[in-house]
Amino acid sequence: MTGLAPIDGLAVLAILAKSIGYGAALLAMGGVLFMTVFATRAEAPALRLARQLAVAAALVGFVVLALRFGVRAARISGMGFDGATDPMMLGFVWESPLGTAAIWRGLGELAIVAVLVPRIGQWIALAGSGAVAISFAQVGHSLGEPRVALAALLVLHLLAAAFWVGALAPLRRAALSPVGADVLHHFGKIAAFVVAALIVAGTALAYLLSGSLGALFGTAYGFGLLAKIGIVSMLLGLAALNKVRLVPALRADEPGATQALRRSISWEMLAVALVLLATAALTSVTTPPINL
Amino acid sequence: MIKQTIFGLAVVLAPTFAAAHSNSEATTPADGSTVTEVSELSMRFDDPMRIISVTLTSANGEVGIERETGMDPATEFRATPLEELAPGSYSIEWRGMASDGHPMQGSYSFTVAE
Repeated sequence: MTGLAPIDGLAVLAILAKSIGYGAALLAMGGVLFMTVFATRAEAPALRLARQLAVAAALVGFVVLALRFGVRAARISGMGFDGATDPMMLGFVWESPLGTAAIWRGLGELAIVAVLVPRIGQWIALAGSGAVAISFAQVGHSLGEPRVALAALLVLHLLAAAFWVGALAPLRRAALSPVGADVLHHFGKIAAFVVAALIVAGTALAYLLSGSLGALFGTAYGFGLLAKIGIVSMLLGLAALNKVRLVPALRADEPGATQALRRSISWEMLAVALVLLATAALTSVTTPPINL
Repeated sequence: MIKQTIFGLAVVLAPTFAAAHSNSEATTPADGSTVTEVSELSMRFDDPMRIISVTLTSANGEVGIERETGMDPATEFRATPLEELAPGSYSIEWRGMASDGHPMQGSYSFTVAE
């Protein structure tokens, strides 16, 4: 298949580490976004869960970032795992765009931990979320031209994805509380716009990196992207089911509505994990058709 | 409406695109070629590439080479075999990093005939 890099053990490790890094970054950013947007609407347990998730995810993200440096050093070195701790190889990685991205992401994730500090901490964490989103535009194919458009689309795509992903667990918790239905309904109203932004930005990015629709067929990038779109479609189906059917059922106090909604959100979480895995594979071992 | 907007945006932006990282454009000896002698090994890239490891292998194992190009990113990589290459088939494998930070690897092969 065109544009598929050889996949060895280190490449698999790189994909796994990257997808965990993606999940951690989205949860960290999204937890902070949830706390900001739902500060007055959501009840304490949901907000507390959002904060705990943001902090835990930021710390996991920080550790994964360090691990990814080692994996990247090993991959470029040709020495196998020994390359992971080779100072010269680590130096090359540090000098590369991954180094710049790591500074933005690392500082952003540390700033997100500041969400534990009352009042001012939330604003520091919000700035940190911005820095994490920007970090993704410092590395990889978003460095190509048109740079500004690619970077802006990617940052928008990530913030929208983070808002959605970071809200899942707190919403699942909110479904248990008496006012939860209103929080979920409000989320659904905002999410309609956020998901639209997510899809528009994602499609524009994919189009810019593919060059043409035809390029999606017969290339590894195209295959990966189509797989991702397939899982995203299922995710959107679940989201639509929640918005149109399950949240109204919860508001109407229908029997079993809480369990049905919570189960559906759990499935959404699983779909998100698969999307992140597909994305990590896409950005690790395939070359966008525009660069072939 | 959304669809038209995306495609409009993409059409406006797409022509200014440049490759974000490079392919191995040409090699010496050429990939798959049969040559009678090899005085130099080289690879050209359309964007600077930091070549970190390069190995030349024959049917009998690894053959020593001397790098002329260091570890700094370069659009042309050059090396010379330490010994005269005996007839047989050879392959070159390399690993490195593109300027956008992606780990890159590649290989090419050639045959030395009498």
